[in-house]
Amino acid sequence: MQIELELNGHQRTFDVSKSDVLLDVLRRNGYTGPKRGCDTGACGMCTVQIDGEPAMSCVTPVTKAADASVETIEGLGKQDDLHPIQEAFVDNSALQCGFCIPGMIMRSKALLEENPDPTETEVREALADNLCRCTGYKKIVEAVLDAADRMDGNAALATDGGTDVPDCVGSTCSCEEGNSL
Amino acid sequence: MSNMEETQEQNDRPDGIRAEEEAAESDAIPGESEVAEDDRKPRDERDQVTEDVEKDDARKIVTGEARYTADYRDRFPELAEGKVIRSDIAHGYVRDIDTSEAEAMDGVYAVITPWDDAVPDKAYSSSGQSYPEPSPWDMRVLRKHVRYVGDPVAAVAAADTETADRAARKVDIEYEERDPVLDPEAATEPDAPQLFDSDEVENAQHGADYERNLESHFEGEIGDVERAFDSADDERVIETEWETPYQSHCVPEPHTTIAHTDEDDRYNFITATQVPFHTRRQIAHLFDVPIRDVRVTKPRIGAGFGAKQEMAIEPIAFALHRAADKPVKLEMTRREEFFALRFRHPMQMRMRTAVDDDGTIEAMDLYTLSNSGAYGTHGMTVANNVGTKPLPLYPRVPNVRFEGDVVHTNLPMGAAMRGYGAPQGHFAVEAHMDEVARRLDLDPVEFRERNAVREGDVDRSVAILKDGDRFARKIRSCGLRECIERGKEAIGYDDLDQPSEDHLHRGVGMALIAQGSGVAGRELGAAQIQMNEDGSFHLQVGGVDTGTGSDTMFSQVAAEVLGCDPEDIVVISSDTDLTPFDYGAYASSTTYISGQAVKEAAEDARERLLHWGSKMLDEPVETLVARDGEVYSQESGERVSLKEIGYEATYGHDEREHILGKGSHSTDESPPPYGAQFVDVTVDEETGEYEINEMAFAADCGVAINPALVEGQIEGGEHMSLEYATSGGLEFDEEGNPEVLGFRQYGMPRTTDHPPMETIIVETHEPTGPFGAKSIAELPTNGVPPALSNAIRDAVGVRVNSLPITAEKIRKALDVE
Repeated sequence: MQIELELNGHQRTFDVSKSDVLLDVLRRNGYTGPKRGCDTGACGMCTVQIDGEPAMSCVTPVTKAADASVETIEGLGKQDDLHPIQEAFVDNSALQCGFCIPGMIMRSKALLEENPDPTETEVREALADNLCRCTGYKKIVEAVLDAADRMDGNAALATDGGTDVPDCVGSTCSCEEGNSL
Repeated sequence: MSNMEETQEQNDRPDGIRAEEEAAESDAIPGESEVAEDDRKPRDERDQVTEDVEKDDARKIVTGEARYTADYRDRFPELAEGKVIRSDIAHGYVRDIDTSEAEAMDGVYAVITPWDDAVPDKAYSSSGQSYPEPSPWDMRVLRKHVRYVGDPVAAVAAADTETADRAARKVDIEYEERDPVLDPEAATEPDAPQLFDSDEVENAQHGADYERNLESHFEGEIGDVERAFDSADDERVIETEWETPYQSHCVPEPHTTIAHTDEDDRYNFITATQVPFHTRRQIAHLFDVPIRDVRVTKPRIGAGFGAKQEMAIEPIAFALHRAADKPVKLEMTRREEFFALRFRHPMQMRMRTAVDDDGTIEAMDLYTLSNSGAYGTHGMTVANNVGTKPLPLYPRVPNVRFEGDVVHTNLPMGAAMRGYGAPQGHFAVEAHMDEVARRLDLDPVEFRERNAVREGDVDRSVAILKDGDRFARKIRSCGLRECIERGKEAIGYDDLDQPSEDHLHRGVGMALIAQGSGVAGRELGAAQIQMNEDGSFHLQVGGVDTGTGSDTMFSQVAAEVLGCDPEDIVVISSDTDLTPFDYGAYASSTTYISGQAVKEAAEDARERLLHWGSKMLDEPVETLVARDGEVYSQESGERVSLKEIGYEATYGHDEREHILGKGSHSTDESPPPYGAQFVDVTVDEETGEYEINEMAFAADCGVAINPALVEGQIEGGEHMSLEYATSGGLEFDEEGNPEVLGFRQYGMPRTTDHPPMETIIVETHEPTGPFGAKSIAELPTNGVPPALSNAIRDAVGVRVNSLPITAEKIRKALDVE
């Protein structure tokens, strides 16, 4: 069968079988940012956003993504033009092996879209389904708090009206998703 | 007493033994020999060292572009997916395998069994260790005699994962069952089921006795321990017992391998490994193909922690590849990681000390019984480290004995795991020392400070299992006391507020920690550096970045020597076709050994760089310095850029030279990094429930090349140590069936399970390490279990001596009181 969905801002059609999970379809089609960590929705390394909500793509039937808007790590910034959450992860040394990071970032993005100014406790609760074995989470939590500040700064700049906001920095900016693939 | 590592050492040494190794063969303590060159630099003279340089793969990681083994599938349009069929009984013999139904399925390319021609009928060790592996050769690629639930019996290659899974379920295996033995003490009884016949294993370890399921027995002594105990005041002889469970590495990326043959008929592995060069050699030996025809490449790797210091799945992938005649990807599931792959060895330990009237330790006696599980990979060597890592915290104790048994059971195999025996050993030694101090009414910290290692000590306990003093060491750097002081301050040791509720009690505990920097006398790292015309460099280095950031550390070390920016150095690492040799990423060796090889390579290249600078500036070499992207004269101030040198050396009129440097580093030294772990806990005396309020870890790793990465190692190591102390562990039913098969059941700590952690780096200078560096990766995995046990003792007066520490155990201990 075929399903249609909006992937990182693009209309896409994929050949799938009914029993496929979203993670397999994404990875088969070159979106290897989401990682396979457990196949049971227990580690969060496959986290993407579906209609803005964080979702474990390894336990999401692909049929559930039909006609939905799916965002993966590939839809965020590029190496020379990072999204503020990505920047914060880099600047806070909040990564080691990196296998959990695409999922961590997508989960953090969903959090900050819903709650732009979270407390540390709220960050920890929001990330509780995403496992990391390397960092002890400390720098990851610091990075998400730092990202909140950075995004807040950009939002303030935008409402201020006067100065140009750099392209493609806001998490809801759709143009970046268009040119990142 | 000696273990067999010594004898192997004599056998496997190449003819051309280098002079410095020759010298080290004598009885001189290596630490007493002169250190070649003092490269100590004050902070303000360091350009790239002690800098938080951005991790070189950070941007591709956060954009999802970093490619791990499974992400290479799109390079192989014909790629087949592999699936392993594993024993579902704990002990028995495979009598028949019916593969016909699976083979008849569409999309199935190959089904292999132990009888297949593609499967070598040869014993080997999966341990990624130097040659010949000290671990016994007791394993076969596929197994007719199965020894635990999870032993690989057959495997399938098919067009896709779903077909492979379905085909695997159609393979019918008939077993003749045997009684399993699950308890290590019972396993040594005369009537216990026997796992191995001694003639089917090549085991060069000391003290093996397969009739008693004994993989190894070892012992060593300094002074006269029995006499010391006999003459000690009975009141001041204290004995304690300790027990630790299995721990899973929980590697984020499950073991994954792609095996294929290229257009030159060479065998290629893209694989998640910590040991590409050991794997290359082991594949060549096992499959009887030349080493030169094997290429092992490690792409980005989703961490290792020791789980990938193993050739765990590559042979099955390769056999499937040869049988299917297609590239094969073999990717483990999380379920397999939890019952079939590798773990930290469970252990039981006994520790006894005698202390004199002024609080000086007179004798220490440590025994460990290690459950090796079904196979012996890293069995003896991990158990050795139970003593040889923590006992050197107290090198002035005159009488020391350390003894151990390593026993097979029909349970999953222990193997290398971050800390490598030291987490078990530190739990026994450091919780014991705290108990000793409290029972003798001494302050636990002062008692440690009185007895603990100091700079200048000669440490023989590290070599207690070896003959002679070759591996005894002089301690040249030790910041332990500053670690204690700063840790105390961070945790508020002297100023703890008690909760207002009567049933809640707060306490604080400390553990001292030591590790090593590489395996003394059993390491080799090499690097080559070459200059490009534009003043940039390519660095080829065998060292393996498992996610720690060692590639970035290498670029900082090279840049400090060459006077350029780390970004000007392109690091190519751990590809057996492209880089010089390296033993791999284990034993906390990468900074200390491979980093030193990089430094030597860069110094070699700098010598040529200065030669060209001298020629172009017409200044004597002795006056020249490479710094800030230039070579300049300290006398005249004349300068020439690295770019000008690069072009001139490459395209010059009269003379041309490719500026190259090489380094190959090996040593008998393994200087210990030190640490102090503090835990602040509140315990409810009614329920036994406890909450960790805060943890602090102060580390002396010599000079931190990249402090942000060092902090990352500390915080991640503490995470694993926190898990070991508070959750995790594996359970099995009475037939040996695993009962923990996923993250949730296992209980790996999540963001919400972590207390606040304070991380402190105490700088010392280790003269034998690159720019003063020692190691950091394993050190912080050792501290939380003893520090938490000590904190609970401080809070409510009871001792929990087995892991994980649960409310139930605390309540039980309180009830006994």
